[in-house]
This record gives sequence, structure tokens and C-alpha cells, in this order.
Amino acid sequence: MTQVMKGVRMLEVAQFTFVPAAGAVLTDWGADVIKIEHPVRGDAQRGIKELQRLAVNPQRSSLMQHPNRGKRSVGIDISTPEGQELLYEIAKTCDIFLTNYLPQARQKLKIDLEHIRAANPNIIYVRGSAFGEKGPEREKGGFDSTAYWARGGSAILVTPKELEGPLTQPGPAYGDTIGGMNIAGGIAAALFHRERTGEATEVDVSLLSSGIWATACSIDVCMDLGTDPFSNPLPGQDAVSTNPFMGVFKTSDGGFINLTVLSPAPLIKDTFAHLGIPEAAEDERFSTIEQLMANAPAAHQLVKKAMASQSFAYWIEHLKTMRGQWAAYQSPADVGNDEQVLANEFIFEVESADGGPPIRLVANPVQFDKQPVRNTRAPEASEHTELFLMELGLEWDRIEELKNKKAIA
Amino acid sequence: MMELKPGSRWKSAVCSSEMVVVRPPKASGVLECGGAPVRAQDSTDAPSGEPDAAHSSGVLIGKRYVDDDSGIEVLGAKPGKGSLSFDGRPLRLKEAKPLPASD
Repeated sequence: MTQVMKGVRMLEVAQFTFVPAAGAVLTDWGADVIKIEHPVRGDAQRGIKELQRLAVNPQRSSLMQHPNRGKRSVGIDISTPEGQELLYEIAKTCDIFLTNYLPQARQKLKIDLEHIRAANPNIIYVRGSAFGEKGPEREKGGFDSTAYWARGGSAILVTPKELEGPLTQPGPAYGDTIGGMNIAGGIAAALFHRERTGEATEVDVSLLSSGIWATACSIDVCMDLGTDPFSNPLPGQDAVSTNPFMGVFKTSDGGFINLTVLSPAPLIKDTFAHLGIPEAAEDERFSTIEQLMANAPAAHQLVKKAMASQSFAYWIEHLKTMRGQWAAYQSPADVGNDEQVLANEFIFEVESADGGPPIRLVANPVQFDKQPVRNTRAPEASEHTELFLMELGLEWDRIEELKNKKAIA
Repeated sequence: MMELKPGSRWKSAVCSSEMVVVRPPKASGVLECGGAPVRAQDSTDAPSGEPDAAHSSGVLIGKRYVDDDSGIEVLGAKPGKGSLSFDGRPLRLKEAKPLPASD
């Protein structure tokens, strides 16, 4: 990929997924990201030992690789005065400072805006928070399951009212990953502004702001109407509109296909033919758009029956030539083999630290010049401490002294 | 004599392991991998033989290995079957100890 951020260096003091994911996106784009980790404990994310009750191999952990690929890890105890001094020295060489520490912790560790700007007045200062930098909840921590999914309206929107309670977030780090991309976008804009005007800005992105951006169309409608008109249908119940080629259809083996033939008028023959019931297009109840809409429930039953007569794999192959829009409901396991995903190189590989097979990772969603991402694996905790500090120009005696004081790994 | 300077790069004589010294030993000695003295990374000799069975627990990339007696600290740069020792004393793995969490 064209390394649009080559030459940009970011100092990251952040843990878990949301904010580190922004650093990962920047490394996909070519930036040099220095991740500061506690010399003994490392990123708290490294403590996640199980996912879906499966043991996590720490050297192949997707939970570490996804938000930390391409970074260098430098182990510094920033609660020590020597560690803080070192952090400021690194900050002097950086374009961006990124953190998810809460306001009180930033003050205590002396990594707040005034401290970092004192070291480097030109640095872009980026905060990723749960609930925003202002307001009564600015000191409150959060995860995407709370601030993004529960608070942002997504859970209530997606859940059919017939269910006992709201659905949980689709998989780990869903809101974190989207939110991290939002931070990366903010950083890109701030770099552009600094380039143009010489002015370094602060950047704030929260899980709450990301969550309500995702549901913005619904929130805006609610605010305008003064009520919540949204109601997701319970799966399995036929909700037939005047268009029989719209909806979710079950295949013979329990898969699901979405049909969204929004304007069926010129597509009646093509659609019925692909569904294996070409004779339906000759049936006068369905042969014109007016008739089709008037008899939508009957046509919908035919479509439903046709879909239920073949397997998921059959439809994926067979519908390829259909002119109307459709999609298979894929599991995350299916996506790793999706022909279109692979053709676009939305997935790339990094070397595994355990010497095993390469680790496959989803790339950030932006490509430059049609080039795929080339990136390296996530670092082990504190992996680059001494090598980075030597590169920075520190004399070995000082590194030795910092080690002895336990200020670095 | 082996000059184990910080940042110096080495490779195993008996396997594919490569490593970087990130903290020199307090006194001079011999860094070994798979039981055999390591070679400078720019050495053109290909590895031959097999790691000694007593020194074959492997080197992993990005992991730190230390010898508490001499203070030497070594970072794995390429994985291999041989494991590290200093003057015959096996180096121990030094790892981050994160607090347990769950998702």
C-alpha cells in the first residue's frame, strides 16, 4: 500500500482495543507507532486469556494482533519520574500523542495535554474516551459493550421487541474497531490541518460519539418525530410488503439469503428464472409489476418455497448471474474465504512470533492506489525497548541506569 | 572473544535462531544457542548439526531471555529449535505478567 503516513511518528499510551486500533490503522498506512507498555504487566489486553471459552495463544492472539500490528513496543513505567522524563523525550520526536487514559490518570501520570505540549508544543494530542472529554461522565471508563452498543442505541434498534431483552454486540471489539477507525480519520485530518496552518490541534473521539454516529439516521429521525418509530421484525415471521423479492429467506440447510430487488419491474423474469420457477413469470398474477405488487403475498410464498428447496452453497453459486441485488448471510468464518474479499486483498498476513503459520488479519478498510496492506505482526510486550532507545540516541549507560531503576523493561 | 555489545546481532551455529543482545553481561563470557557458541550475524557459515538435547527448548521472536548471574539479556529475532545459554547456564524466559481479564 502507498505509505501515505510514512515519516509520521505517533506515541501511544493506550490499552485494550478501541484506541490502540487507531494506531494499528496508522501502521497500515505507514506510520511509525511507538506503543508504551508497562514493563511488567504490559497492555491489559494481554491479560485476556480466553475468548468464547477458548484459550488464547498469546503469541497468535487476534485480540493483540488486530489493534497492535506494525507497532514497536517500548516498556516504560510512566509512574516513575525517570519514565516520565523518557516519555517526554520520545514525545519530542513525535507528531501525535494518543491516549485512552482517563483525565485523573493523565494528571497523575503527567501525560495530560499541558505536560506533553510542554515537551513538544507542535504535537497533535489525541484522546479516545468512553463518554467524551466534557460532561458529568468524563471520568467514567467504558467498553464498547457499554458506551457504544448499549448507550448508542444500537442494541435497542437491532432487537425485535418480542425478545426478552436486548441483543449483545456482534463479536468482540465491534464498536472499538469502528471507533478506532474514527480516531484514525480524526488524526489524518489534524495532520492535514497542521501541515496547512502549522497549528496542532487536540482530537477527541469517544465510544459514545462513535456509537451515536453509527445510529445517527435513527436518532435524527427520532428527534424530528419526537418518538421512536423503529421496530426490527422478529425473524421467521413473514413481513411481506408489496415487493415479494425483498426479505430474508431460509435455504434447505438452514442458511440465509437476503434478496433486495428494490425495483423489480424489469427483473421479474430474471428473478423468477434464477429462483428456479421461470413459469411464475408467465403467471398473470405476477407477470407485470402492477400484478406482482398486488399479489405480493402469493409471490412471496413461491419465493420462500423455492429458496427452501436448495442449499446455501447452491444459491451462492446459482445467484451469481442474477441481475437483482442479493447477498448470502456469511458468518465471520465464511468471510475469510470470501472470493470477493480475497480478490480485493482485504485480508493480509503477518509472520507469527511462534514460528507457526502466518497470522491472517483483516486490513483497515481504506486502500490507496489499489494496493493491499503490507504490515508486520504485533510486538511482544516491551520487545523494542532497548533497540528503540538506542535508535533514539540514548547512551547505553543511561539505558542501564533506567533498567536498574525499573523505569524501563 | 565475543563482544556482546547492546544491539549486537547474533545467530545460532546449529539452528535457524537469530538474536539481539539488549543488555550486555557484566563479565565476558560465551553466548550459546543449542549448546554451541553463537556466530556474528554477518557470518556466512550455514548452521550445521543439531541443537544439544539439553539446549533445545527453542528461541521465539520478540521474547526476552535473561541470565540472572551475568545480567545478559537477549531478544529473539528469528525462531529456531536451539535454546540460549551463557557459559553453559540456560537463559530463562522473561515475560510480561498481565493481570487476568476476560472478554
